[in-house]
Amino acid sequence: MVLLLAIWQGLSLAFGTYWFGSPWGVATRLASGVASGEIVRHASYTLLEATAGFLIGALPAVALPFALRRLPILTAILDPFMMGGYGAPKLALAPLFILWFGIGTQSKIALVAITVFFIVYFSAQAGVRTLDARLVQMAQVMGANERDVARHIVLPGAVPYIFTGFRIAMPYSIGGAVIAELISANRGLGYLIQLGAMNFDTTAVFVALTATTCIVFLGNRTLDVLERRLLSWRPRPNLDIEAGS
Amino acid sequence: MAAEPVLEVRGLSKRFAGRAGRDPSSWVIKDLSFAVDAGEFLTIIGPSGSGKTTLLNVLAQIEVASGGEVRFQSRVTPVDNPKSLKPGLSCKIGYVTQEDNLLPWRTTLQNVLFPLLVQGRLDSETRARAQSLIRMAGLSGFENHYPHELSGGMRKRASLIRTLVYDPPVILMDEPFGALDAQTRAQLQEDLLRLWSLGRKTIVFVTHDIAEAIALGDRTLVLSRSPTTLAGEYTNPIPRPRDIRGIMTHPQFTALYQRIREHLTPEPHGSPTIAIA
Repeated sequence: MVLLLAIWQGLSLAFGTYWFGSPWGVATRLASGVASGEIVRHASYTLLEATAGFLIGALPAVALPFALRRLPILTAILDPFMMGGYGAPKLALAPLFILWFGIGTQSKIALVAITVFFIVYFSAQAGVRTLDARLVQMAQVMGANERDVARHIVLPGAVPYIFTGFRIAMPYSIGGAVIAELISANRGLGYLIQLGAMNFDTTAVFVALTATTCIVFLGNRTLDVLERRLLSWRPRPNLDIEAGS
Repeated sequence: MAAEPVLEVRGLSKRFAGRAGRDPSSWVIKDLSFAVDAGEFLTIIGPSGSGKTTLLNVLAQIEVASGGEVRFQSRVTPVDNPKSLKPGLSCKIGYVTQEDNLLPWRTTLQNVLFPLLVQGRLDSETRARAQSLIRMAGLSGFENHYPHELSGGMRKRASLIRTLVYDPPVILMDEPFGALDAQTRAQLQEDLLRLWSLGRKTIVFVTHDIAEAIALGDRTLVLSRSPTTLAGEYTNPIPRPRDIRGIMTHPQFTALYQRIREHLTPEPHGSPTIAIA
């Protein structure tokens, strides 16, 4: 970390703050921005867009593979479209979303949602497909019906996969919101980046990027906490050896 | 013993569909018939690959047969149509498999309560029953442990009482103690006999270990290898209660062991052995 900051400081000294905002400059600007509430205000817009988009995208992405579990034909029909959607560059959809939803918050949420949806959909589908058939048979022998199987066997078995999807999708949701703001916005961290770039204010760009990274970090911590609660049943890798206790 | 057999198998046959480049199809079970009396501890022994697991899967109604008939409490249950299979025959047939098949996301107690939960029978009475079974199985203090935190023997016990807790009249057991060390195995055999003597359920216990088959069973069926047919039947004269650890020295044990072993001795070498299960 210290080394990284040193390299950064070195680069800004070597090339000048026009190319690289110095870490000291970024830190002071960030502090004053937070103090004045300016950064916090813009960051909260971005966070709101990312969170709303994440929820709107992730919930159907989790629900759909479950609904399709017993419908192999429909799944086979849908799969190529899903694959196409997964592969399509979401950024290219931004102009469409602006056209449909305007330049306000909705178009950003839509872009985040569509990005998150495809990532989580394929993870959840993988989770539903790796189902242990033997566990299902045993549950049926014990009297479990289709609903019990879905709730007590398919869902818990898929949760680790769904979480992997969440982990991959989370930075994308924040990145998606920032990029959508870059294209057209009058608020949010992406707007700050755009504004900084237009004014040749490299330090402002770095400030906004740092704030973005902080949000990603925060999102990751939230997922950590959630995962520890939901997946406590999984064997934890033994860290004692590494810690050298 | 009751006159009416609780489970009857008549002319049961099973073959797997052929695959390209192989024999068109091979019989796994051919014309197998036997009956199990209520309250009987029947052991079935056969070489590995003799379709024992397939037989239990058919009886548990999770796999179809190609022909024949299975009667449960004198009523014919269809076995050849995958759509009409009723896994566990409405909780009348319990099944303890080779692997413990505990749900990894449920604790010991939650696993034991699982059948009661899905059968809608979870109340204070059944909970108390689950608790007392956990105590009898020596799992006290491990109620809130997840399966990966238990030893192999403990998982087996949990898996066994998970079936006992809902009291099915017939329990199928597929080499449940196969993968355990000798000590744990003897201990679990003792525990099983003790639990069985309390409720006297009908048990169909499959194994490839002659000593285990004799130590536990009232009667032992010997199966031949692919296709599986009934090769022999031995009534076990050793009185109960039995001392599992000392049974090896019982004169009747030795005699029975000899006879079954001769029966199981493979045919002269030359024919390749093919494992199916």
